[in-house]
Amino acid sequence: MPATPLDLLQGTLDLLILKTLAWGPAHGYAIARWIQHLTGRVLTVGEGSLYPALHRLEERGAITSEWRLTEHNRRAKFYRLTTKGRQQLRAETATWTQFVDAVGKVLRATEQPA
Amino acid sequence: MSDTPRWRRYLRFWGPDHRADVDDELAFHLETRERDLVAAGMTPTAARAQAEREFGDVRGIRTACVKIDERRQRHAHRLEVTDAMWNDLTFTARTLRKSPGFTLTAILCIALGVGITTTIFSAVNAILLRPLPYAHPDRLVAIYSGSAAINAHHSNISYLDYLSWRDENRTFTGIGMWTWTSLTLSGGDGEAERLEGAEVTPNLFPLLGVDPLVGRTFVKGEDRAGGDRVLLLSYGLWQRRFGGDRAIVGRTVTVDGLPYTVVGVMPRRFAFPDRGQVWIPLTPRPQELRENRMYAGAIGRLAPGVSLAQARADLATVSARLQREYTKENFGWVTEVSTLRDDLVGDLRKPVLILFGAVTFVLLITCANVANLMLARGAAREREMAIRTAVGAGRGRLVRQMLTESMTLAVLGGVLGGIFAALAVPLLRFAFPGDVPFYITFSVDGATLGFAVLVAALAGALFGIIPAFRSTHLEPSRALREGARGSGSLVRSRLRRALVVTELALSVMLLAGAMLLIRSYRALEGTDLGFDEHGILSMRISLPESGYAQPAKRAAFYQQLFDRVAALPGVQVVGSAQGIPFSGWDVQAGMSIEGRPAPRPGHAFISHFQEITPDYFKAIGVPILRGRGIAPADRDSSAHVGVINQIFAERAFPGENPIGKRVKIGDLDSPDPWITIVGVARDFRHYRLPQPMGPAIYLPYFAEPVLTQTLAIRTSLADPLSLVPAVRRAIRDIDAEVPAYQIQTFEQVVSRSLWRQRVQGQVLGVFAALALLLAAVGLYGVIAYAVAQRTRELGVRIALGATRRNVLALVMGQGARLVVAGACIGLAGAFALTSVVASLLYGVEPTDPVTFLATPIVLVIVAMLASWLPAWRATKVDPLVAMRVE
Repeated sequence: MPATPLDLLQGTLDLLILKTLAWGPAHGYAIARWIQHLTGRVLTVGEGSLYPALHRLEERGAITSEWRLTEHNRRAKFYRLTTKGRQQLRAETATWTQFVDAVGKVLRATEQPA
Repeated sequence: MSDTPRWRRYLRFWGPDHRADVDDELAFHLETRERDLVAAGMTPTAARAQAEREFGDVRGIRTACVKIDERRQRHAHRLEVTDAMWNDLTFTARTLRKSPGFTLTAILCIALGVGITTTIFSAVNAILLRPLPYAHPDRLVAIYSGSAAINAHHSNISYLDYLSWRDENRTFTGIGMWTWTSLTLSGGDGEAERLEGAEVTPNLFPLLGVDPLVGRTFVKGEDRAGGDRVLLLSYGLWQRRFGGDRAIVGRTVTVDGLPYTVVGVMPRRFAFPDRGQVWIPLTPRPQELRENRMYAGAIGRLAPGVSLAQARADLATVSARLQREYTKENFGWVTEVSTLRDDLVGDLRKPVLILFGAVTFVLLITCANVANLMLARGAAREREMAIRTAVGAGRGRLVRQMLTESMTLAVLGGVLGGIFAALAVPLLRFAFPGDVPFYITFSVDGATLGFAVLVAALAGALFGIIPAFRSTHLEPSRALREGARGSGSLVRSRLRRALVVTELALSVMLLAGAMLLIRSYRALEGTDLGFDEHGILSMRISLPESGYAQPAKRAAFYQQLFDRVAALPGVQVVGSAQGIPFSGWDVQAGMSIEGRPAPRPGHAFISHFQEITPDYFKAIGVPILRGRGIAPADRDSSAHVGVINQIFAERAFPGENPIGKRVKIGDLDSPDPWITIVGVARDFRHYRLPQPMGPAIYLPYFAEPVLTQTLAIRTSLADPLSLVPAVRRAIRDIDAEVPAYQIQTFEQVVSRSLWRQRVQGQVLGVFAALALLLAAVGLYGVIAYAVAQRTRELGVRIALGATRRNVLALVMGQGARLVVAGACIGLAGAFALTSVVASLLYGVEPTDPVTFLATPIVLVIVAMLASWLPAWRATKVDPLVAMRVE
């Protein structure tokens, strides 16, 4: 674990949430844990940005929510990806990959361009 | 578990509770984190603290989330509503398109109702509502003299009385005076023309609050006799005659042969009084007398906070003082004060309001008709409604759907009606004879449009609500089982009958009103005028004072003119008078009779008098009954003779021979000469109908020639107006500076004088015919529908041997009940409303038996026709087909 976890880039959190939900419905706590877990604690999702992000995504229709019981028999709000959300995930994943590739090319460059 | 009180869950009963949801969600997060930490070996207290620290600003997050959720909720709600509305609208469009006959009929009905109601409203607006084009016009009042003793109202005023009112009142910021005048404008490029205008006191225009467009209005001192001759022009005259040249101010024009300086031009849309185009200062005569009531009237502006009643009381105090001081001159004379609007449009108020009331009836009938159509349609759609209810549509949803339909019809009909009104409103001006007074403008303005929208919306609600509730009130199981003849049909047909009876009753009331007004007009038109108005051309001629100061010159002009006109082909007789019948020209005076004591104050014998030429009576077809008429020899100033009418003879000399008696205009001791009565002419109407004729005395024109005369030229030509060019040429040949004006045939004069009675009768007649037609359509609809519903029963009857007559009687009997009910209610209503039209009637009793007999007969005939058609169709029912139906 690095001394200071990296802050998420603006808009990246939405992408991560959508990706997480692509495996199936989950509640906010689970989403936060999964992201932390998957990134090997490199990325920490603060609750302060997670919950507003979830509600915003729901407002935009990318995800929907319903109240369900957890394995511990507690009521929790589960989020699920909608068709619209799935499309958004695909589109943004592509954009993100292009972006990373482009930035990567620049960073890996060994010669100054002519 | 959760700290949330359980009762909060019940809040969800009224919809989602975002606050509780967000709380629950965040609480769940914290608890789960806490449990994970405890599982990792922390103490519960430390775990809780750690979880909360990690989470951060709980309240901030909560607020942010709640805000987002609420926004989403609102948005979703809006979407749902617009979605539902859009659904209703598209569904309505589909259903309406599916029955174009119904849709078109309904829309046209509404368009008709809204259109004519709006048109008449625009007249109400123009005449009664829109402010007069003066500053704070509601504070302006018109002041006249009146005397109950001689039955004079809104009479001319005297200059000295005016001064007393002006100086002694405590309730006005100012009082100005005016009188009619007409002037001859000559010289320059144009022909000499006669202009209507007014003489006004210099304070009058500032009092009206209207500034001149160019130059100035009159100033104090310009009303002194012998002062500068100054003149104000109207905008129209300025544009027409002077090309809108601003430099006209300060220039000199020739008026009545004298030079006048133009001091200003009044703005567009200003006229005073009524149709005036030119104004000069009112100059009192060198010796004004208190009893000399010869000026048209006064106009005052009420002081702030003063009511009309207070102003009346104030002026009454002044006139009471004048009566005490001038016991003879002012005996019985009081002031009559009314608002300026009442003074201008007073006699239009009642007819306009009555027409508006009538048009409301027509609107109600169209609404009833459309409601009827919708009910009939509701019956046909009962199955559809039942199915929709069965598959779960709530009643509210169905009512909303029906109301959407009626509002859609109302909007479409309203738009069409609005277009109709916009086209019809400018035509209103043709209801006026000649020019519409300046203070009335017929145009579609905001008020009119707002009214159209209001009427359409009200109509939509009126014809929509009952059918909406009626048609959706049903039990699906029964309706489906019984098919087209569902449970609602009995109540519904009762409702439809009630609507038709209402329509019939309303149209009977309109019919009765129209009949009264038309019969009253006919009575007026049929009045024996006492003169023969056919084949007479009349025109007014005014000699300018400057060139015709000596009476001999005037006499010479007219004698020459008569000779020339009489020589024109087609001219039979030519005569002239100071004022022809119905022209509004009137001069009256108290008469003294030789050998009788002076009358008590207020009981003078008042008579109309004017100067006529020898052939005038011959020209207008009035015979001399006794003695002789005015003769050509009655021409020098010693010819003090006169011809009186029958009324004069009967009232002044009952049972005596009036020939040879002597009378005098004015008091016994006045210096005027005695006039010897030489003949009695048959009575004829001089005043506009329905005002009765009074005593009149006619004096020889050539004994004391005045400047202005009105020619009456009797011709054998089919169109008397074809003489005009020749007569004009004759005038020009004698003196080009002399204008001829008010050129019209006697028939036109008579017809114009009755225009209001004619127009109100015609318009109400059209409304009544429309109402009757609409009611007949409604009746037809109800009967036709009943026949359609009873097809099976009728088939059975015919199969069992019912004859055509039986079937006709059966079906028409059904209609007859409605007609009788409608006629009775309508006649009762008309009876109750007779007092409204009573004051507009002439020669017809408000309870005129002819009207009250003829109206139901007309209704019965129309109603028979309307119910005969479906009845006749019923007789054509083929029993075999009828019984196989369904």
